[in-house]
Amino acid sequence: MFQVGGIFQVGTFIFSVISFLIVFFIIQRFAFKPLAKMLEQRRIHIETQISEAEKSREEAERLLAEQQRLLEEARKEARNMLDQARIRADEQAREIVQKAEEEAARILEESRQAIVRERDEALAAVTKRVAELSVELTAKLLCDHVTPEVHKDLLAEAESKLGELVC
Amino acid sequence: MPVFPTLFPGTIWQTNVVVIATIFLTGLIVFILLRLAVARMDMRHPRGLQNLVEWAFDFSESMAKDVMPSDESRRFVRPLAFITLLFLFVANWLGLIMSITVHFDPHAHVWGLSPSDLQTSKGDVELFDSPTSNMSMALGLAIMVWVISHARGLRHPAKWFRHLLRHFPFGLLEEITNPLTHGMRLFGNIFAGEILLGLLLRAPFAFHFIPWQLPFIILWLLYSGFVATIQAYVFSILMCLYIGMKSFEADSQH
Repeated sequence: MFQVGGIFQVGTFIFSVISFLIVFFIIQRFAFKPLAKMLEQRRIHIETQISEAEKSREEAERLLAEQQRLLEEARKEARNMLDQARIRADEQAREIVQKAEEEAARILEESRQAIVRERDEALAAVTKRVAELSVELTAKLLCDHVTPEVHKDLLAEAESKLGELVC
Repeated sequence: MPVFPTLFPGTIWQTNVVVIATIFLTGLIVFILLRLAVARMDMRHPRGLQNLVEWAFDFSESMAKDVMPSDESRRFVRPLAFITLLFLFVANWLGLIMSITVHFDPHAHVWGLSPSDLQTSKGDVELFDSPTSNMSMALGLAIMVWVISHARGLRHPAKWFRHLLRHFPFGLLEEITNPLTHGMRLFGNIFAGEILLGLLLRAPFAFHFIPWQLPFIILWLLYSGFVATIQAYVFSILMCLYIGMKSFEADSQH
């Protein structure tokens, strides 16, 4: 088997192993390592890209939810403000109407009191005048036979009678 | 039996020059392939060669992952598995793609060829062939793997020794048969494919004009290509397996 020229050649055996090892180390050093490094880089690159994309998507979803929440809040606030404004406006209107009514009632009352006063004054004046007149008339009819005391009494009587009559 | 030009003819160091040259050629092809893949590497749009190389990379990675027991041994065997896979693939295909035979005058004195060799082959000298169709080379690779596996195993001598004696004497017998079958399987498959291809190519036409062997050549070429690919895979995965069997780090880690 190991004879020279046989099918198994020790020289071929040794030198093929040596040359394979040389080839292997050259390929490993100058081709495999850069390739493995680049593939690793690529894998890391893709992984980071994917994780970043996922992260940004989550961020976007979070922001969207936040925006929607804010929008909803703003809408609610606007509605609240509108409602409050409406309530306040209603209140104010009611207040104004009430005030106006009160004012009107006050003016009415005042007017009524003034009227009553005027009437009383007028009545009093008229009564007084009528009493004087009637006393004068009576005095004239009695041809001046009236003493000032009687005259006074008459006047008082007439006034009271007239007052009764008027009222 | 084909005759090759040899170095140191007539001594025990007789060396097949064609085998050594084709080993370097194969290495060069693999090297250029990988360098091209590295240069053309595109992070965003991988295509063509890059996909192929990445696929081979992942393939050898999963091959190592399946049979290696620990991360450390996996890291160790990864470049070996990847480069051996590509190297053997290219080497096995070399002889199918091309084989050069030159006819010399049997009585001429040619460098690297002994007159007796020339006479036995009637002057036909092979100048280009698959390196793996040489038994010495295939066995050399197998024994190299055997040496690597035992070198790794001897880092834990007690476990290595126990492993050897586990199924005495079959464990010891296996240590002899494994590298032999490992190398001979590769050599036999490739050698048989090329020999039959050569015979078919040299066969004379029927009636001097009917190429009856053409369909057989095509069929055999396809089959040999299949076998060449499979053998590259088988050799690599057995290499991972043998090295994995002798890697005892997994036991010490856990």
